Formats: sequence, C-alpha cells, structure tokens
Amino acid sequence: MITATGLTKRYGSTAAVDGLTFEVKPGIVTGFLGPNGAGKTTSMRLILGLDKATEGTVTVNGQSYRDKRVPMQEIGALIDPSAVHGGRSAYHHLLWQAQAGGLPRGRVDEVLDMVGLTDVAGKKVGGFSLGMHQRLGIASALLGDPPVLLFDEPVNGLDPEGIQWVRTLVRRFAAEGRTVFISSHMMSEMEQTADHVLVIGRGHLVADVSMSEFMQRSAHSHVRIVSLRAHDLTPFLEAKGALVTNGTPNELTVTGLDAAAIGAIAFEQGIPLNELSTQRASLEAAFMELTYDTVEFRADRGPTPDVAFA
Amino acid sequence: MTMSTASPIGMTSNTNAEPGFGAALQSEWTKLRSIRSTWIVVSLAIGLSIGFSALFALVSGLTHESWNDDIRAQFDPILTTMGGMLFGFILTIVLGVTVVTSEYSSRMMRTTFIANPHRNQVFAAKATVVAMLGVAISVITIPGMFLVSQPIFGYYGLETASVTDNDATRFLLIASLLQGLFYTLIPFAFAWLLRGAASAITFSIGFCILPWMLTPLVPIWVQENVFRYHPDIAKDSLFGVVEADATTHLAQAPAILVIAIWMTGLLAAAAIVLNRRDV
Repeated sequence: MITATGLTKRYGSTAAVDGLTFEVKPGIVTGFLGPNGAGKTTSMRLILGLDKATEGTVTVNGQSYRDKRVPMQEIGALIDPSAVHGGRSAYHHLLWQAQAGGLPRGRVDEVLDMVGLTDVAGKKVGGFSLGMHQRLGIASALLGDPPVLLFDEPVNGLDPEGIQWVRTLVRRFAAEGRTVFISSHMMSEMEQTADHVLVIGRGHLVADVSMSEFMQRSAHSHVRIVSLRAHDLTPFLEAKGALVTNGTPNELTVTGLDAAAIGAIAFEQGIPLNELSTQRASLEAAFMELTYDTVEFRADRGPTPDVAFA
Repeated sequence: MTMSTASPIGMTSNTNAEPGFGAALQSEWTKLRSIRSTWIVVSLAIGLSIGFSALFALVSGLTHESWNDDIRAQFDPILTTMGGMLFGFILTIVLGVTVVTSEYSSRMMRTTFIANPHRNQVFAAKATVVAMLGVAISVITIPGMFLVSQPIFGYYGLETASVTDNDATRFLLIASLLQGLFYTLIPFAFAWLLRGAASAITFSIGFCILPWMLTPLVPIWVQENVFRYHPDIAKDSLFGVVEADATTHLAQAPAILVIAIWMTGLLAAAAIVLNRRDV
C-alpha cells in the first residue's frame, strides 16, 4: 500500500505537486495518468525518497522510503530504464543492485530469465535496444520479489508481444495480492490493464476512481455517420433532440440518439448511409476531456472539442 | 530472445535482514571493477608514472655532468625518482571523481539510492572502495618509480639510495599510503559537491597540484600564513619535499593535523550536502 497525505513539492514558487492525497491499494492495478509535466515522475520520486517533500508525507506500507531497512524487498521500482552505465554488462548491472539489497547472486539469473534477457546477460548495456532497456529495468524491480511495484512507463518501446507480456505480468502480480502502481501515456493499453485510475494535472489530483466509473463519467458514447447526403439528415436528427456535429464533409457525430433510431430516421427520409457505428467511450477520450485545461505543453490541435471523439 | 511467462513468481522468503555495510562495499566494488575504464585508468596511472620516471632518470643521468650548482643541489636520490608522479596523481584524481560523476551523468545515481536509501552508508562504501584502489595504485607506482630509477642513477654515477635506507623506507611507506588517500578522497568530496566530471576534475587538479607551483609566486606572508596550511603543502612537508627552513614548512604533527582536518572537513561537507539535496 502506498499512502500519500497532502504531498507537496515546491521548486521556488511553483508547486510540481500540490496537496496530493491518495491511497494505492493492493490486489489491483492502479494507473497513474496525466499530461506531460503534470507531476507523475515527481510523485514517484517522492515515493522513493529521491526528493524530499516540501509538505506532507508519502509512505510505503506505513513507512517512509528512507527509513526502510531492506527497501528492495518491499518495493520494486522501474523509473528510468536508460539510467545505466553503457560500459557495464546487464549481468553486472543487476548484480550490484542485488548486492546492495542484500540479495543472493542467484536472484540475478532468475530475474534475467523472467524477462528473457539471459542470452544477452554478458553484453554491454550500451548496445541494448529500447525494449531491452525496459526489460532490464523491469528485472531490476523484480530482484527483491517485492509486494509493491512502481512502474513509470513500463511499456515504452516494447513490441506488441512485449506489451502483452507486461500486461500479463502486471495483472498476475495484482492477482497475487501485490500493490501495482503504473504511470503511462498509452491509453489504449492502460484501458486493458488498470482497475483504478489516479489522474493528475498541474500537480493536483483530478480524479481518483475505478476505471469503469472514470470512462462512464467523462466521455460520452456517440454514433458516427458517413453519408453522401449527411447534411440533409442533420435537421431531422436535431428535430428529435440529438446534438449533431459535422466532421469531414460527409461525416456526422451524433449524441442523444442511438444507432437504431438514427437508422430508422435515415430510412424514413430515404437517405442512404455508408457508415452507421456506435463509438464507445475510450480512456483516451475521457482523459483528454478531463485534462484539457491542465495540459502544460500542447501543440495547436485546432478548435476546442466540445464532444470527446473516440 | 524468448520470454518466460511460465516461471512462477511466488513470494520468495524475504529475509528482512538489513544488508549492512559489507553489502554496500560489495556492491560498490562490483560497480567499480565491472567497467573497463576503471582498469584503463589504473593501468595508465601505473604505466605512465613508472615509464616517465624512468625517462626522467635517464635524462638526469645523461645530462648531470653539465648541471650547474643550483640544479645539482636540488637532486635528491629519493625525491628525484618521482618524476612521473604527475601522471599518477592526475589519473588517480580522475578515478576519485568519476566513481561519483559517472553515476550523475548517466542518471544511475537514482538507481543507487533506490537500491539503498541510506546515503551515508553508500557514501562511505564508495569512499572506501575508491580509496583502496587509489592506495593500490600508489603502493605500486611509488616504489615502482623509486626502484626503476635507482639502477639508472647508479649507471650514470649519480647518487643512489637503497630501499633499506631509513629515509627511503620512511618516504616510500608514507607516500604510498598518503598519496593514494589524498588524490582519491579529496577529488571524491569535490565530485559530490559539483556533480560534473569536467568541473570536479579541473577543480581537484587546481586544488591538489597548483599550490606547490604557485608558492614561489606569492608574497612571503601569504606563503607563511595561508599556503603553509594547505593540505598539499603540508603533505610535502611530511615527505621532506619542503625543506625544513622553507617558508611553508610545517613540523610533522601539525602537518598531519592539517591534512586530517582538511580531508575530514571536505568529506563531511560532501556528505551533508548529499543528505540534504535531491538526487
């Protein structure tokens, strides 16, 4: 269990994280979502004792990280997989960590096998691909076989097989009763992996709910229509109380009416449809809508969306 | 590359025994010995020091008959063998600095303090490991430089010294120990404070080596009241490099005290800053 109470970190006059209060529970996968610069990495650094909080506290299993006697056996972290010395072999990189944590040498071979890096154990880490770096980082986190796992962007750079592997691993850990805390930008992947979400924006906690509630609450499912006579259909739909938005010239997005009702209206009016599909809410849409105001760095994406698109 | 999803990830019996200083030492030694650059620096320090001393001895032998009285008076069968020492010192400084700065530049320092958040323990373990390697280097280079020069001096008819001479034995023992400690631990402290290799190495070279060169250039009162208490000058007093009647000379006990205070002070400052700053 990871518990934060009023956690605040200020650099000068700006607060990177401000008054964060949350609990990351065991037995489920908790996703940590937020735009770039929102404070996800700062939060994780505070949990691991790398930075000192300006105000508030954060504990792992009731104890602050720097007070722990054998932290590696309590919490395993993947923070920055490329933070390695390129001239060292993968084996030695894991060995020094195992030794620092008072773990037996055999553990190094075990975790290398778990992540599939046994064949390259003797190779210098500088020659590793991004995916191999990620796997080495996951191996480091697993060395102490800890009941709490903290992963910062674990699927970054992995191929589809690797992504599925991480998802299976992480869900299994949660099923074993471990606490799993993952931060990620890959919404489609998070949707399949996390049971609970913490959403952070500009240092503040914006949401702390189950995944299903988050997606229901924020994004609306809608119906997408493609038709050569789409503009003809619009007044009929609006007459029935639907909200219609135009996309590309032949495209409509409709909320307020389901696909069956829209199909019936189109049939009545003799307007042929090329596509009629229900777009369910997606995590990405929910996330974008919720954090739109809090994004620090944003490329110009055109006018403000007033309906979230899947 | 195969990935194993079948291997069971049960909860291994967590011993919960605190790793302790021995584990930290083992970990830091693994870090140091497992990169090739460590051994390149060690080999160069030894090879260049001894090689250059031999060369210096050879040049002395070839030219000594044309020396004037001043230069002849400066010749010392013990101290003149240390001609290659600058290489050894600079490379040892590089070792003392990079053991710290390579972790900051690669951002691996975070991994280090995640594995062991007890910062003083990590600090002490790193200091111990790099100091021991530094002493190992100087224990090989200093007697090495001495022994390689003596036969060359003898061949050309210069005054020689033997390892069994009291003066020589005393010098070799103290120098082997002290140079290794001095040129690793002081740069080590600067490295934690400055965090960057280039600045720490430059600063360390300036601090550890320049004072000897600058001494003749500063006013007498500065030599007597400031430079005399610089640890590098005090070290030179201990070795007899600084003459007993020189302005910067310090007796044995005060010299040892000066060196001890400087080294503990700098290391303490580095440790305090490490504990307070974010990694």
